[in-house]
Amino acid sequence: MKRKNLEKNSYTYMLLGLMAVTLLFFTILKGNLMWKGDVWLGMAMQFPEYGVITLGLMFCFICGKMDMSFMALGDFATIMAVRYMSAHADGASQVGVILVGILIALCIATVGGVINGLLVAGLDIPPVMATISMQLVWTGLSVALTNGNSVKGLPALYTEIGHKYLFGFLPVPLLIFLVVFLVCMFLLQHTVYGEKLYMVGTNIKAAQFSAVNTRRMVIGTYVLCDVICCIGCLIMISTMAGAKADYGTSYVMRCILILVLAGVLPNGGMGKIGNVLIAIVTIQIIATGVNMFSNLNTYYASLIWGALLLIVLIMSTRMGSGGFPFRLRAAKQGSGKA
Amino acid sequence: MLLMTGIDKRFGGVHALDHVNFAVRPGKVMCLAGENGCGKSTLVKIISGVYTRDEGEILFEGQPIHRITPADATRLGIQVIYQDLSIFPNLTVMENLAINSEITANRRIVNRKRWEQTAREALSKIGYEIDLYAKMGDLSVADKQLVAICRALLFNAKLIIMDEPTTALTKKEVDALFKTVRQLRDSGIAIMFISHKMEEIFEISDDVCIMRNGKNVYSGPTSELTKKDFTYYMTGRELVDNYFVPTNISKEPVLKVEHLTWKEKYHDVSFDLRKGEILGITGLLGSGRTELALSLFGLGKVDSGTILMNGKPVKITSPIAAQKLRIGYVPEDRLTEGLCLQQPIADNIMLASLKQLTRTLGTIRHDEVFEKSNEWVKTFSIATDDAHKHASTLSGGNQQKIVLAKWLNNDLDVLILNGPTVGVDIGAKQDIHALVHDLANNGLAVIIISDDLAEVVVNCSRVVVMKDGAIVGEMTGDEITEENILEVIR
Repeated sequence: MKRKNLEKNSYTYMLLGLMAVTLLFFTILKGNLMWKGDVWLGMAMQFPEYGVITLGLMFCFICGKMDMSFMALGDFATIMAVRYMSAHADGASQVGVILVGILIALCIATVGGVINGLLVAGLDIPPVMATISMQLVWTGLSVALTNGNSVKGLPALYTEIGHKYLFGFLPVPLLIFLVVFLVCMFLLQHTVYGEKLYMVGTNIKAAQFSAVNTRRMVIGTYVLCDVICCIGCLIMISTMAGAKADYGTSYVMRCILILVLAGVLPNGGMGKIGNVLIAIVTIQIIATGVNMFSNLNTYYASLIWGALLLIVLIMSTRMGSGGFPFRLRAAKQGSGKA
Repeated sequence: MLLMTGIDKRFGGVHALDHVNFAVRPGKVMCLAGENGCGKSTLVKIISGVYTRDEGEILFEGQPIHRITPADATRLGIQVIYQDLSIFPNLTVMENLAINSEITANRRIVNRKRWEQTAREALSKIGYEIDLYAKMGDLSVADKQLVAICRALLFNAKLIIMDEPTTALTKKEVDALFKTVRQLRDSGIAIMFISHKMEEIFEISDDVCIMRNGKNVYSGPTSELTKKDFTYYMTGRELVDNYFVPTNISKEPVLKVEHLTWKEKYHDVSFDLRKGEILGITGLLGSGRTELALSLFGLGKVDSGTILMNGKPVKITSPIAAQKLRIGYVPEDRLTEGLCLQQPIADNIMLASLKQLTRTLGTIRHDEVFEKSNEWVKTFSIATDDAHKHASTLSGGNQQKIVLAKWLNNDLDVLILNGPTVGVDIGAKQDIHALVHDLANNGLAVIIISDDLAEVVVNCSRVVVMKDGAIVGEMTGDEITEENILEVIR
């Protein structure tokens, strides 16, 4: 909790300001259309899947590592889960089948995370290289299994989850997102793991010299990252009613973008989970806003995202230490002398 | 040559420089001395044009200078050789030497012959020889420094400012550097030498200017200054060498090393260590002293030989295992191995002992981390008003105290200190030494690894000298003198 006091809050205010500006922008252009309940419910249905995935990747970033394989791994895990569930869909207990299916996906994600962790922490392969290789491996496996087609035949109960409202107003995916968010927040702010994670991310060598089991930290973080990402993919297949080798590949860049926007840089050791939430919602507002222009290609959303990211990066480099959690320039590790 | 009067600079509420006066004479070596954080670096940055002054006058060769930018400084003939040397590690020596003049001449096509010629000319200025095609990054710090000096000379430098050039050098390399400095001085170049090491200042400088808390407290010829005055001016208090007197040495050794060998690094090393004793391990860089420590801390290899803790043979395979055996290690390089600079002081202090604060389900309360570390901030009088601030906000001495606190917060039997006062100013150095003496007399077994012989002599009750990976001498009590150590070390 004390970490909050330290990392200055002004970056959070800037992100909130950014969100307000985007809201204002679309309100001016589209008027009340932006403020209909349906629009907001729609957003609440859409962002949880990549929101959860982003939260997973966040752990990797804070640890100072990179994961490029999480979507490919998630796709493969969900393909296996869907294959199992569709094969047993007509069985007696739908709930049991679904639970086993979810378990299969999570187990595969765990294995994938362990492999990533071993490659990076055990064999000292640079994280980007190791995880890109694994991305190709998982995608290759998925395509080989499915010929690149989507796998369908999910139990009806499972596809309903993705579209269901609890108590008539709370979308189930949003509920899952909130639970994952709270768990992540707890992990980061109230556990020894979270404490060590920031230290390992800042300087893994110093952590090693302080008798921290850095290898276990890195492997554990990759597992955590990939399992949380897999939860996101499990939401995704529910809304898409099937799994495919390339579902959600576009999420890789989107998640990285959200994290950098939120000030969680892959250099490690920095960033707050609250800022990640704000960044996720901002990105969703832009996507929804662009969607309201029927004659506008949805790719304009990514154009705006890119521009937004550039603005944030330029501001944080130009303004130096003025309350930003990170500085890109003058990143030299000073000796602390005056 | 360079005359500065009444230089004043404030950063917000901090009065970094308070009406400082000083002068550099041509053909003389002027030492700017002072503890970390006294304003030395700020002053240098004003001369080189990185900062602008708030008040005061600068005269260079009789000409008043009003505004100065880094480019102006270069044109006037002022060259600064910074600690980090600003070289290109991935290029060769030749390219590093020639690149600036190529750029200023606005040439676009590479002519190897001309490059080589420029580089040779630069080297010949100080009669220094080195393989022109060696990669800069592969050179030792000392060689890098000499190349940087050569490069400075290419710009017809009239004043060369060297910012703590000896920090990373061994004694031999320092001697070589000083030879070059004298050579430059005799050719009429003014040298401004920044340092906080007393011996060096007395050896090399003609004039000295001592700063404390942003004021210059002394300036004048070095010859009129005694060592005692010097220390007083530096720290503002009288300091005496406190020799360590062991009072509490145990009978049985707590750590015993027998025929320990790491094939590539050192071989057949044996020694023992008792509680209450401070054992010095000294030797030149590359003598295997650091590698030996790494093996004892589980980060180095052990090819053969045994380590006994309290009489029992142990295998130390990781720092975690070392910690379980109650061995702590304060590493050589504080910045890369000792600290997470961009994290709070409190978290840095507690990093090695988070187990103490772990509650059910692996949870931790940050206010407890803060409270516990605040106790250490108080005991060690670490100069900070808030332990939530990043470790990078502290000076070298205070940072070192954090690393010490991190290990002392564990219950230790053996504490290994590798270069405990490298880059630490005199005041903090004395504090750390006194602290280590107390620890030893309270029953801790301490190993100090250092190439600062004065430090070894003052602090150790027994000294082991290493050379080329083997122990070449051991001395105790009155035998420990700098001369005796030097005799076996070379």
